[in-house]
Amino acid sequence: MSLTAIISLVAIVLVAVASAVIGSVVHRTRLTSDFLVASRSVPSRLNAGAISGEYLSAASFLGIAGLILVQGVDALWYAVGYTAGYLFLLLLVAAPLRRSGAYTVPDFTDARLASPPLRRVCTAVVILICWLYLLPQIQGAGLTLGIITGLPDWIGSAAAGVIVVATVALGGMRSVTFVQAFQYWFKLTALTVPVIIGLAVWFGDSHTFARDEPPEFREPTTVSVETPVTLEAPRSVDVTVRGTVDGQPVDGPVSWTAGSAHRVATGTELSFAAGEPVPVTSGAPTDDESWLRPFTGSEQHQLLATYSLILATFLGTMGLPHVLGRFYTNSDGRAARRSAVVVLAMLGSFYVLVTLMGVLSRVYTPQLLVTGRTDAAVLLLPTAILGSGLVGSLVAGLVAAGAWAAFLSTASGLLVSLASVVSTDVLPGKGGLARRFPVATVLAGLPPTVVALVPTGLNFAEAVVLVFAVAASTFCPLLVLGIWWRGLTDVGAIAGVVVGGVTSAGAVTAAISGLQAYLPVATGGWVEVLLYRPAIVSVPLAFLTMVAVSGITRTRRPADAGQVLLRLHAPERLGLMRDRLDDRG
Amino acid sequence: MSSPAERSAGTIYEQVQASPEFRAFRGRLRRYVFPMTAIFLAWYLAYVGLASYAPEFMSIRVAGTITVGLLIGLAQFVSTFVITTLYVRFAERELDGPAAELRARVESGHQEVGA
Repeated sequence: MSLTAIISLVAIVLVAVASAVIGSVVHRTRLTSDFLVASRSVPSRLNAGAISGEYLSAASFLGIAGLILVQGVDALWYAVGYTAGYLFLLLLVAAPLRRSGAYTVPDFTDARLASPPLRRVCTAVVILICWLYLLPQIQGAGLTLGIITGLPDWIGSAAAGVIVVATVALGGMRSVTFVQAFQYWFKLTALTVPVIIGLAVWFGDSHTFARDEPPEFREPTTVSVETPVTLEAPRSVDVTVRGTVDGQPVDGPVSWTAGSAHRVATGTELSFAAGEPVPVTSGAPTDDESWLRPFTGSEQHQLLATYSLILATFLGTMGLPHVLGRFYTNSDGRAARRSAVVVLAMLGSFYVLVTLMGVLSRVYTPQLLVTGRTDAAVLLLPTAILGSGLVGSLVAGLVAAGAWAAFLSTASGLLVSLASVVSTDVLPGKGGLARRFPVATVLAGLPPTVVALVPTGLNFAEAVVLVFAVAASTFCPLLVLGIWWRGLTDVGAIAGVVVGGVTSAGAVTAAISGLQAYLPVATGGWVEVLLYRPAIVSVPLAFLTMVAVSGITRTRRPADAGQVLLRLHAPERLGLMRDRLDDRG
Repeated sequence: MSSPAERSAGTIYEQVQASPEFRAFRGRLRRYVFPMTAIFLAWYLAYVGLASYAPEFMSIRVAGTITVGLLIGLAQFVSTFVITTLYVRFAERELDGPAAELRARVESGHQEVGA
């Protein structure tokens, strides 16, 4: 095992142990979770660190840099969307939801509409969102371990799933504010160090992107293709092939002409000499000049895809269970607003660093453009820049540990949200929460771990956008209309959530499983775009359904809708909330 | 949430809800939140539209590698932060302040009734 691998493994183990130990120690001394005890005492800045720490997942840490590497300026929308989602959460949901006293969507619907069937539907959607969101986290952990040790990815994924389930079930890694805030600063450091070093080296290289040329290999490079790809050669390129290209077995040097495209099968090895231009996976911008400009790749309907991406990320954030729960730990609506500002600053600086990592990876790890495994960019960059000596290995270890911190914080936050819903709403029978919680954690955590062992071939950031689309099509309309429109009825809410959930999750399932190949419509058109990016259709559809069905079932409007809405919107300074708490004694 | 009985007619809630100050207050909130949401969405969507339909404009070089498109792209982070700060300042000035005044007035009125 190489020096890099040993250092990285040690760093990962340290992060995992530290998170589990700090989590369980603080947990034991406090006896109950933050949500019950500290909800009124967490300072907004610390809370903002915790929100950011829990939110920045493997998708943000690994995925976005990979997309920047391939797509260039177009991929900025992922980062902007993940950040701006908080703006819409803040504008439309944060303070009223805080005042409702509910910190999960099922609790909110109880307070607003008091409908057991609606609660069951919402519980199912929470489980769906958490499972879909857990998948890329677990796979991210597997990829990280696989890249540094050379082990198959599924070993790392399985280990990661078991670690998270075990520690959450045993009471460690609860949503302890301090641990989550620590993980934010750790992730930020793990990116800042390589970015500063990388930029210094890059300026020393006097490399520029303002040129009509593709990236080139800096040294002789051999890549092995693990998932089938179609490669476009922007310039004529000499490559030594061992494997299958365009359906033909090839063993030896070939020359790809400029502008040609080639299908490369799994298991094929491609060797390039230093200075050769880098072929890119088809659809992506080929030369550096167009990489810097929006919408220059050869993929179709990019405007539609981007609009749909924006809608999903802007409106999906408010529907994520682990995000909503965190906002409850603000002392009041005002503190919720203040911490949202700090969160935006924290997320913004993180995503600028991630973007710079993506830019640097285009210079120093261009071979990832060939394999398409761009999620690895952040992990490979330190040794690509610094070599695999002690310094390079130490920085690589820091980055690998940062990736695991990203995965652990998000996965445990999701699993805690998921397990609390499962233990209160799904598990039958009696017994205290303390006894049911571990069982619920195991039941909730195992399915995504098992499914994660099968590779999906999606970039992590793209996989997470699919989850955002589901959240934007279900909980966004429910929360927005529930908070702002007194005409919402239980039947309307159920209809809207079901319609939005079925269309978005259905499209996503079809896209991932490759069902679109069997569509009667020609692929490559807007249908395929909408399958990957359903939000632009499913979100308006869910809103319309909710409004229309609520209109038809007007008689079912709760009699106390006016009062509930008044409470949601009356600022704490109006005193209604405090009086209510005083009433309760 | 409390039981419906607690919220019956004539409670402090209904008194507050009926007061002109509260109506003005709610109107201010709505008139701010919904237009702002629409404007922000339009701002983001317009940028993407510009990138698609005016690529020449977006590829004007500002300095070296830096194009107009890249600058506006990075400005999205900044604008998100600016918009949020604006909203929070609005909320603290226009919502929290008047709400405190309204509460003081409601409570003094309430006490007079009670006494």
